[in-house]
Amino acid sequence: MGNNIVTENPNSIEVKDVVFSYDISDEESDKAPRYALDGISVSIEKGSYTAILGSNGSGKSTLAKIIDILEVPDSGKVVIFGKDAGDDNLFWDIRSNCCCVFQNPDNQIVGTIVEEDVAFGPENLGVPNPELRERVDQALKDVGLYELRHRDTSALSGGQKQKLAIAGALAMQPDILILDEATAMLDPSSRDDFLEIVEKMRAQKGLTLITITHDMTEALRCDKLVIVNKGKVAMEGAPEEIFMSDDLWQYGLKRPVKFNFAFEIAKLTDSKLTKEDLVSDETLTAALTKMLKKPGIKYPEYINHSEDKKEEREIILSVKDLSYTYDGSDVKALDNINLDIRKGEVLGIVGESGCGKTTLISHMNAIFRPVQGDVIVHTKDGDLSCKNKKDTMKIRQNVGLVFQYPEYQLFEETVYKDICYGLKKMGIPKTELSKMAYDAAMKVGLSTDEINSSPFELSGGQKRRAAMAGVLAMNPGILVLDEPASGLDPRGRQEMFAIIKSLRDSGTTIILVSHNMDEAAVNCDRICLIDGGKITAVGTPYELFQKERADELGIQIPRITRFSSLLKNELKNTWPDISFPEIEFNPEKEAQAVVRAVCRAGGADVK
Amino acid sequence: MLSKVSLGRYYPADSFLHNTDPRVKTILYAVYLVAIFIIKSPVAIGVLAGIILLMLILAKITPGILWSTVKPMLPLALFIFVINVFTIKDGNVLFSWKFITVTAYGIGRAAIMAVRLVFLIVATSILLTLTTTPLKMSDALEKLFAPLSLIRVPVHEMAMMMSIALRFIPTLAVETDKIMKAQQSRGADYDSGSFINKIKGYITVLIPLFVSSFRRADELAVAMDARCYRGGKGRTKLNPLKLTVKDVLTGIVFTLLAVLVVFID
Repeated sequence: MGNNIVTENPNSIEVKDVVFSYDISDEESDKAPRYALDGISVSIEKGSYTAILGSNGSGKSTLAKIIDILEVPDSGKVVIFGKDAGDDNLFWDIRSNCCCVFQNPDNQIVGTIVEEDVAFGPENLGVPNPELRERVDQALKDVGLYELRHRDTSALSGGQKQKLAIAGALAMQPDILILDEATAMLDPSSRDDFLEIVEKMRAQKGLTLITITHDMTEALRCDKLVIVNKGKVAMEGAPEEIFMSDDLWQYGLKRPVKFNFAFEIAKLTDSKLTKEDLVSDETLTAALTKMLKKPGIKYPEYINHSEDKKEEREIILSVKDLSYTYDGSDVKALDNINLDIRKGEVLGIVGESGCGKTTLISHMNAIFRPVQGDVIVHTKDGDLSCKNKKDTMKIRQNVGLVFQYPEYQLFEETVYKDICYGLKKMGIPKTELSKMAYDAAMKVGLSTDEINSSPFELSGGQKRRAAMAGVLAMNPGILVLDEPASGLDPRGRQEMFAIIKSLRDSGTTIILVSHNMDEAAVNCDRICLIDGGKITAVGTPYELFQKERADELGIQIPRITRFSSLLKNELKNTWPDISFPEIEFNPEKEAQAVVRAVCRAGGADVK
Repeated sequence: MLSKVSLGRYYPADSFLHNTDPRVKTILYAVYLVAIFIIKSPVAIGVLAGIILLMLILAKITPGILWSTVKPMLPLALFIFVINVFTIKDGNVLFSWKFITVTAYGIGRAAIMAVRLVFLIVATSILLTLTTTPLKMSDALEKLFAPLSLIRVPVHEMAMMMSIALRFIPTLAVETDKIMKAQQSRGADYDSGSFINKIKGYITVLIPLFVSSFRRADELAVAMDARCYRGGKGRTKLNPLKLTVKDVLTGIVFTLLAVLVVFID
């Protein structure tokens, strides 16, 4: 392979024809090794802000590891700012100039004390005191953790831990900073905080920033997107170019919600968006306004999704005056919670990390026994109180609880056995086991092959489904899901919500814990907001996300609603009398609602 | 809750003992370990208790923290006490029923055994875990055992492994708790049933915990690699260990106190 000539550009990261496989090559095996990277070539300019996107398992994290020489390519060439990564003499030089922040905050902290952890990197580089002390202090000040420098790292919140990871990187004074799904486990406000710090540092220190993310709106902040699929670059370009493409779905991706909304309006008005329109919110609203002013827009049919009166449905679970305080804590984790859950609804429980969401749901199937107050499960056979020890098993059969990252609880040799575990514990007769297990696997869309394989051989998304099936097998009337879509790529998320919807359609009551307002708004019938262990509001998404109400509650409005209201303000300039009685949270439906409003205001032929 | 276990946990504070050189503390710990297991007389135990009380004050450890450290070990201390009471048959018989014989001497010995265990826990906590961060602890061990590296003992690596193990205790405790809750909500019952059943039940916790520990270890190794960790060579320290006159004096005074205790005994 003599003709792999790489232009040794000192101002860019050059990855050329890189092949990489995690499988240890076995000469005698007939199976071809699975390549994580399969001849990938990419070029990233110094000082740029690049997002690497792709589905779970597409090879994007491996690409990041290749750039930081954490993995050495099987073949191909990597040149970082003119330095050949294959040259052993330059190895430490390159690696010390490139830092990574990974997804799981707990698995990258080495020190027990905040400042000791920040010092770990520069200590390895042999930075002497007093420079070492200056670097550590400066890095901690940059991320706003200086006051906490003597704290125990395990006492930090998830958001603070990720900031600590950035500080640890900054103290090494790198040229390149790679964020490998670094915001995936954070709630929206910590996520914004995190990105703000990173972007400020990029501006101040001229960092080359590479971010790997599943969040398409986050990707919009970048100068350039690289889409990786099956170990190759599928597309690259500016965000406005990439999001013009109709091929995103096959790479496990979606457009950001506001673009979904815009493309739907373009479709309904029979117009075309150009990449120039996608550059900013201003250009996009201007383009959409122009489209909507066009004469001859058809009135989009209103599809009534047969809303029955949910208020009249029976109550299936009620939380009464529930309070809870953890041992050795003075703060109430739950403070007088009262909540009724109605049969067949999807109830969202929304709040920031540490607000008491998990504590609340742990009471719902008696994992935590109520100390103050009570949780009552109403079943066909009468009411069950979570206080009553002998009802525990019945309650757990009625209320299925799937914690966050449920794939980490799998333990059996095969998925089938794992699904059966709960059933056996509940004393289900052997004759019914198999049918119930297969039914549950069907509900989450696992194939027979997958049911009989080891859970540890499945991909991340399949593992999660297997774990969910283990709870669903007991046919619970109520299913509590804690962040069921976290860590999945956009396609995986959508599939997960499709599963949830089909469960709901088959009559299961769903309680969905989330910190993602966008998804809560689309998928929930009612949302219960929790802050500091108290319920601050309960209502339909429509009620809660009205501008005044949301401001009063201090909650983030879903992205779609925020963008849509920009457009609506613009439209009011053209049609002063226009009114928007409907608010939808699904971008396509919201687009239809806006077009209908324009038609009614006299923008087009009203039938 | 498991995450509340304070055994092996650091207690952040700014105290005399927190600021004492960890090497001195490690040596003192060894000295007191010997003292605790030598002494038998109640007077010596009383004096030792006094010294430990002094250390507690010097370490600014609150009774609450102390209690949470000792509490998990009390069942074991009680167990040792009971076993000793029933098995030591020398001395004046106080009470006898069938094969059970309780003697005054036995109670005394049993009490000493139990007290030793409690002292051991308290000494470990005050001198080491509560007042010394794992990184400092590993620094101290690395320095103290440095001569061994001449005979190719990987002292730095062992010290690093120890500090990482300590760093992950709280993380894994939280993880264990999460897995147990998840399995309980599938019907697992860890509280009742026969002993064998309970042990079997823990398999549902141990396997996922092992899998997750391997995953964590893997990710941590990559993260350490990314931060240019390459063993002890050429590493500098943010807070290098400095032996001051104060440290040396502390060492001498407390060693003399320990000798005094043994002497009283």
